[in-house]
Amino acid sequence: MKKLLKSKWFIALIVLLLLAAGAVLSLIPGSPVKNLLKPVQLVGSPSQSIVKRAGDTITDFWSAITDGVAIREENRALKEQIADLRYHLTQNEEAALRYEELKDALHIKDMFSNYVIYGASILSRESDEWFSTIRLNAGKADGIVLEEGNSYPVLDVEMNLVGRVIETSDTESRVLPLLHEGFAVAAKVNAVNGATFMVYGDAELKNRGLCLAKNIDPDARLEPGMEIVSSGDGGLFPEGIPIGVVESVDNSNPLEVTATIRPYSQIGKLEDVFIMIPYVEPEETTAPTASQGT
Amino acid sequence: MRLVNENTRSRIRKVVVYAIYIFLLSSLQVSFPDSFSFLGQVADLTFVFVVLSGYFNGFWDGALVGFICGLVRDVFSPPAVIGLDGEVRVTAFIGAFTLFSAGIIGASFFTRRMHRNIPFSIVAVIFTTFCYKIAGYLLIYGWSILAGSYTSIYSPLTALLYSFLPQLLLNTVTAIPMIVLIRFLGPVSFKKTKQDDEILENKGGGTWLGI
Repeated sequence: MKKLLKSKWFIALIVLLLLAAGAVLSLIPGSPVKNLLKPVQLVGSPSQSIVKRAGDTITDFWSAITDGVAIREENRALKEQIADLRYHLTQNEEAALRYEELKDALHIKDMFSNYVIYGASILSRESDEWFSTIRLNAGKADGIVLEEGNSYPVLDVEMNLVGRVIETSDTESRVLPLLHEGFAVAAKVNAVNGATFMVYGDAELKNRGLCLAKNIDPDARLEPGMEIVSSGDGGLFPEGIPIGVVESVDNSNPLEVTATIRPYSQIGKLEDVFIMIPYVEPEETTAPTASQGT
Repeated sequence: MRLVNENTRSRIRKVVVYAIYIFLLSSLQVSFPDSFSFLGQVADLTFVFVVLSGYFNGFWDGALVGFICGLVRDVFSPPAVIGLDGEVRVTAFIGAFTLFSAGIIGASFFTRRMHRNIPFSIVAVIFTTFCYKIAGYLLIYGWSILAGSYTSIYSPLTALLYSFLPQLLLNTVTAIPMIVLIRFLGPVSFKKTKQDDEILENKGGGTWLGI
């Protein structure tokens, strides 16, 4: 018995069983098991920030050397553009004031006016095809409070869909990217009476940077090149968030028409993103809390 | 008079060098994955490091480095899994499970019988990557059937072309500089592991699973 307890294979087996049990327990909503990782996070996050900053500095320095001539030329063109824009800005200031007055008068709403937008930077990306969540530097302390079963859309700087927040800690949030096989969003063709369907992340298409569109009406008009936006059905994502363009349509089975979608957002190239949280009136609660979208 | 004896010095070296490599490689992998990617796959720097630590420095090094690297991975980029209720949740400890296993496998094959031969360390990386991919694929297949999530399943041909082959290629290429790092700028001196091997060889017998 003593020999067995000292055996490295026995110890390894026990560790593996404990880790497997931990993994299963972490799937239970509100499980405290994840708190065991907090010390690692305390040590890991600062060291990762240092490495990232050092890498960015090296990349920037290298870009400054290689792009020097191009940057000088671009700078000259931009200066001319700024002068031109300043002129136009002066011209448009009055028009903007008029628009604000009319906007209130005509009850025109901005597309996402019911949402509070939080900016965040990407801390870490996927480390492999299966370890693929994204970590952001905004958490509960920044107002990103997530209740069980809820989620918030995440957009890039051009307001294209990137993914959704699925977990928050005090200082960080985790995002399920659009290409992940667990991702789903109700979508439509960005046209009057455009066809509606569901867009899913798909393991088979993920490696090619594509999503899958399913539940498409066989009579719907769907062609490559058409723009796809969120439809607002289901309540999680507001209507009109750009998702991507149709890459191909498969009509081979009329009962199950599918299409591939190429998302606009290029997660690998993103540095900053925006989290959309449904706005709650201050009298109801002091901080924006997790409630379903419009 | 020496303040620190040889044994303590080598222990300190081991801990410091491992700590630097673990955090550096884990951070590099999740900070700049596009720099190490091919056909949608990312070179798994920490995975290769863990396998080679096991291969060159033994079972306990592989296991411990794998365990710590796995915990770091669980913090930096944990996998999201579709639960049995259809909800997607972030999990914990799958990274630790995976890399702990990788460290053990790396330490168990092609080691003593091959005298920690450098070319065979590449074979160890290829073999462990292959085991990881097969196990991951089967696990996802089984879990997807159980959870009724068919978007997670992909055909064996796609798995081969877009997952197995690019990952094997990337990890093999990554193994070359990593071997240089571990062997010549590593946590344990090359001379010491050679001596250990000779002692074990003289005792006779191979390891369990030894090839």
